[in-house]
Amino acid sequence: MAKLTREEVEQKVKEVIAEQFGVDPASLKPETRFVEDLGADSLASIELVAAIEEAFDIEVPDEDIEKNQTVGQAIEYVIKKLEEKGALA
Amino acid sequence: MVKVCIFEDEKVTDLHPLTMTRAAFELRIGMSSLLDKIMRMLRGVKPSEVYLEVRDYLAPVVKVRFPEYKVNEYKPVDDTVFVNARLLYAGEEVELACEEVVAVKDGYVAYAYARRSTLEKVGGGSVTDVLTRLREELSSKEAETRLINWPWDLVKHNAEMIRREFEWRGKRGVVPEKVEVVGEKDLVYIDPSVKVYPYVVIDAEEGPVYIDAGAKVFPFTYIQGPTYIGEKTYIMPCARIREGCSIGPVCRVGGEVEESIIHGYSNKYHDGFLGHAYVGQWVNLGAITTNSDLKNDYSEVQVFINGKPINTGELKVGAFIGDHVKTSIGTYLNTGAVVGIMANVLAPDISPKYIPPFTWYIKGVFSRGYGLRRALRTAETMMSRRGVKLTEEERRMYEYLYEVTRKEREEYIRRSRRKKA
Repeated sequence: MAKLTREEVEQKVKEVIAEQFGVDPASLKPETRFVEDLGADSLASIELVAAIEEAFDIEVPDEDIEKNQTVGQAIEYVIKKLEEKGALA
Repeated sequence: MVKVCIFEDEKVTDLHPLTMTRAAFELRIGMSSLLDKIMRMLRGVKPSEVYLEVRDYLAPVVKVRFPEYKVNEYKPVDDTVFVNARLLYAGEEVELACEEVVAVKDGYVAYAYARRSTLEKVGGGSVTDVLTRLREELSSKEAETRLINWPWDLVKHNAEMIRREFEWRGKRGVVPEKVEVVGEKDLVYIDPSVKVYPYVVIDAEEGPVYIDAGAKVFPFTYIQGPTYIGEKTYIMPCARIREGCSIGPVCRVGGEVEESIIHGYSNKYHDGFLGHAYVGQWVNLGAITTNSDLKNDYSEVQVFINGKPINTGELKVGAFIGDHVKTSIGTYLNTGAVVGIMANVLAPDISPKYIPPFTWYIKGVFSRGYGLRRALRTAETMMSRRGVKLTEEERRMYEYLYEVTRKEREEYIRRSRRKKA
């Protein structure tokens, strides 16, 4: 997989979230909350994690899932993961 | 020297989900696999003399599973006996390697024999191509043997094959002293290593019962023949194993099971009914999981195979469950339901007729669930509990299958989301 810039990661994470919850990616703000704003239930959360893992070829340990409550946190989390594996441009 | 080539043809995908993760000849019926029976038909041919021709993505897995055979290495340069991997040998008189012939069943090549000169004449290519040209070149005849065309064929012929293989094995009349047998004791064989607890009834009135090495049968259990219990399988307390069942090896089975095949390494620990079904490997059916095998109006059952409804011509058809499927407690599977490999099902109302591979079906909603990575981790965990390792070859096969089934899965998920919205 080619290295991604922070902006590309942000865009891609938003696309994955938008696809999962059936919303416009442009409507997603860093402070958008998965449960309260997007109506995520436990199944949707599991699916979202799987979709992000697939999209970025990263592994999200179970204990990290709870830490990501907003779109912004998810973007920062993916950036950190890609940085760790040297996949961030 | 005559070569033997056991080949998969294009119809093998009609045996999905069972043949998605295994070659057709690995399917079980009676007391063994189709391959075991084909080798019996081949009378003394050694595995090292046999070429297995399977779908490309399966070849690495089949090589690991059958190290004594040659896999996808066949070249038509010697006299060759071709045998369809779907062939069900039931003891028919079959003349192989005598006259050049193509024996056909249901429109497909069941077996064939061609000399080197003929093979040179029709030219090379895949085995399917070679056979197509051989059909034009050689005389055809109707094969004496059957082919397994659909998953329900395995269930349909299972009782007959248990009876036949019981005779082939030649072991009979061995029953521990305190085991209650109804019918002829001579139709029962319980391997001396089997542990049978008190209050077990074996009913051989309608057919033989064979319980293989290392099995355990817990108390208050009823086993009706014809039935085969595979090696190291545990039949849980109060189980009712009715006629026409082949279970094992290494299964844990409780509740009521009738005319069903459980391939091996699968669990149905608890109560719940399984009838006219074929369950793959590494399946776990949660407590009370039950499949319907008969419609309320007694009409013919349809089964979805490769996206198309197929009329089975049968009134009783149960579920066909792919490898590594998990069902929740209280899952109800529809009549003739097909559950794709690695699916996860929570259906307390009634499941749909078809659940795509790697999909979660949860109370009316299709979902991609936790993805392939976690599905494989779950598989590893389950397998390690029985001392088996998921091989790299299997992992790559599942990765391949995950990709080729993605489009269908995503479509089901999209439709389901639209419906939910």
